[in-house]
Amino acid sequence: MVNVIEVHDLHRIYESGAGLTHALRGVSLTVERGEFIAIMGPSGSGKSTLMNILGCLDTPTSGSYRLEGLDISRLGDDDLAEIRATRLGFVFQSFNLLPRATVMRNVMLPLLYSDCPVREREPRAVKALSSVSLPVEYFDHRSNELSGGQMQRVAIARALVNDPAVVLADEPTGNLDSATGQMVLETFERLRDEGKTIVLITHDPTVASWADRTMHIRDGHILTDEQEREAVAASETHGRGTT
Amino acid sequence: MRARDLLYETWQALTANRGRSMLTILGIVIGIAAVISMTALIGGIQNTIVSSLGLNQSREIYISVSAGRSVTEGDLERIRLSVPGYELVTGTVSGTSTITQGKKSANASITGVDQGYFTTSSIKLAHGRFFSDAEMKAGGMVAIIDQNAVKDLFGDADVQVVGKTVKLGNDEYSIVGVSESSGFSMGSYETVYLPRKTATSRIIGSDASISQIIGYAKPNVDAEALAASTKTFLVSYFNVPADKADDEVTVMSMQSMVDQFNTVMSAFSLIMGAVAGISLLVGGIGIMNMMLTNVTERIREIGLRKALGARSADITRQFLLESIALCVCGGLLGILVGYLGAWGLALIVRAMRPSLASMSPAISPAAVLTAVGISVAIGVVFGYSPARRAARLDPVESLHYQ
Repeated sequence: MVNVIEVHDLHRIYESGAGLTHALRGVSLTVERGEFIAIMGPSGSGKSTLMNILGCLDTPTSGSYRLEGLDISRLGDDDLAEIRATRLGFVFQSFNLLPRATVMRNVMLPLLYSDCPVREREPRAVKALSSVSLPVEYFDHRSNELSGGQMQRVAIARALVNDPAVVLADEPTGNLDSATGQMVLETFERLRDEGKTIVLITHDPTVASWADRTMHIRDGHILTDEQEREAVAASETHGRGTT
Repeated sequence: MRARDLLYETWQALTANRGRSMLTILGIVIGIAAVISMTALIGGIQNTIVSSLGLNQSREIYISVSAGRSVTEGDLERIRLSVPGYELVTGTVSGTSTITQGKKSANASITGVDQGYFTTSSIKLAHGRFFSDAEMKAGGMVAIIDQNAVKDLFGDADVQVVGKTVKLGNDEYSIVGVSESSGFSMGSYETVYLPRKTATSRIIGSDASISQIIGYAKPNVDAEALAASTKTFLVSYFNVPADKADDEVTVMSMQSMVDQFNTVMSAFSLIMGAVAGISLLVGGIGIMNMMLTNVTERIREIGLRKALGARSADITRQFLLESIALCVCGGLLGILVGYLGAWGLALIVRAMRPSLASMSPAISPAAVLTAVGISVAIGVVFGYSPARRAARLDPVESLHYQ
């Protein structure tokens, strides 16, 4: 198996008026092609910081990050933008669709930034939309006319349209009820079956259970299996999951 | 990002906020409209005056000799004989009097003219006739007044006054013709022409010096060169000291007068342009304000576009183009409004000044190009800082901006 993501000893320190914040303290992980993994952790655990670095929206203070073998921890802003445009797809909790634009235009938006020839855009958008099972009659609807579940599927199609190496999903079911959330997770599962690599970030164990593998992050560290069991046991003792 | 995509995105963004876009460009519309209508109006007036002065009659040469030297008909004869190239040389005397018609009276500027005068000058008759040779020789009690004088004395410029009489001082004169008013106003003085002999004997005094000499060059004679040789002749003829030659002997071809006039009008145009420029500055600040609001409102969209692979340069271009597009729309609309405004003003000017009745605004392609250029420049200048601000936003923070 080829490792799509190889992260080694990642540190991220934020400087702010309040002082230094050590958000990641030596995170290492690998993700193989075609894997569906979940990264779990409570608020403030560093999972969003990790997500931002994996998504090339942020760069680590130290450590290395290889995406498809390319070391991106030292790239400049424009190179990172190109990586985002061609190798990564994002799915956000709040969908982030352009509200007045049609479904098609939303899905084609990333193609504006990836030098995709004009004549290939529509076929690629249609292909992406059919892989998330959105019925054709919605293609010309404005995105704000859709239901939450439909919006998130449009957002997933948008993430897929450039055929990225990795789809990064940040709490993709956070704004959905459990039934529509399940439909979205089924979509991810099907994409995994088609060979896509998916990294999903959540604080919800039920959502994480859809993944092939779950990594727990807490206080900027990836927990070992033993630490993980202790953490799970601790949360069961308290009768509630972490928030 | 392709230019076509950029234009489409810009179009989408501007039409999404149609009402606000329209209000924002109002400042630019007004500024450009002011520039266009003012320059068009001034250009139109300029064209009309130049043609009424007779730019095409550039055969005229105006000569005046000052500093107490009395010029007589004999001197004119010497010019005719000594300076080759003139078809005619005429002299006028001038003075002032009071013109009375019924109960109305006004100051009058009297020009005593001889036979050649109406050939050489660009004065055109609206009604009636010029003086006959007999009237010139005998010093007949006849007068030609201009349209402004008709309006002032008879109440309306269209009144038929040929054959009626007016009084100059205590003498009664019969009006034989009405001349078109030139674009120049003589202030509160009415323009009256008399045969020169009448003017000198009745009003100015028979010893009066000829104050203005008008020469009329033969066809195909270079007026500028003729003016120069006339000056040389007059300086030696009147024994004017070389250091005072320019002060005391003035010889001007029509062309140089038109040039001077155009310089004055251009300066006037420039001042109007500067005033309109202030309006454009205010409009530009409005654009900047709207673009800053626009960036703040679309922070999440900017974050999203960056996450999807937009480079900072793409974001800068997108917002800069929006600002330029706004300004260019404002500019084009301003040109249209300015054109209509110029016609509206032209109609008012026509109604107010009969002498400018044929005036139409002159919209020059240069003014239109300048207006578009200014619009683009305003878009760039006032859109750059908001666009850079948008481009510098951190994608992570802007994606989570509420």
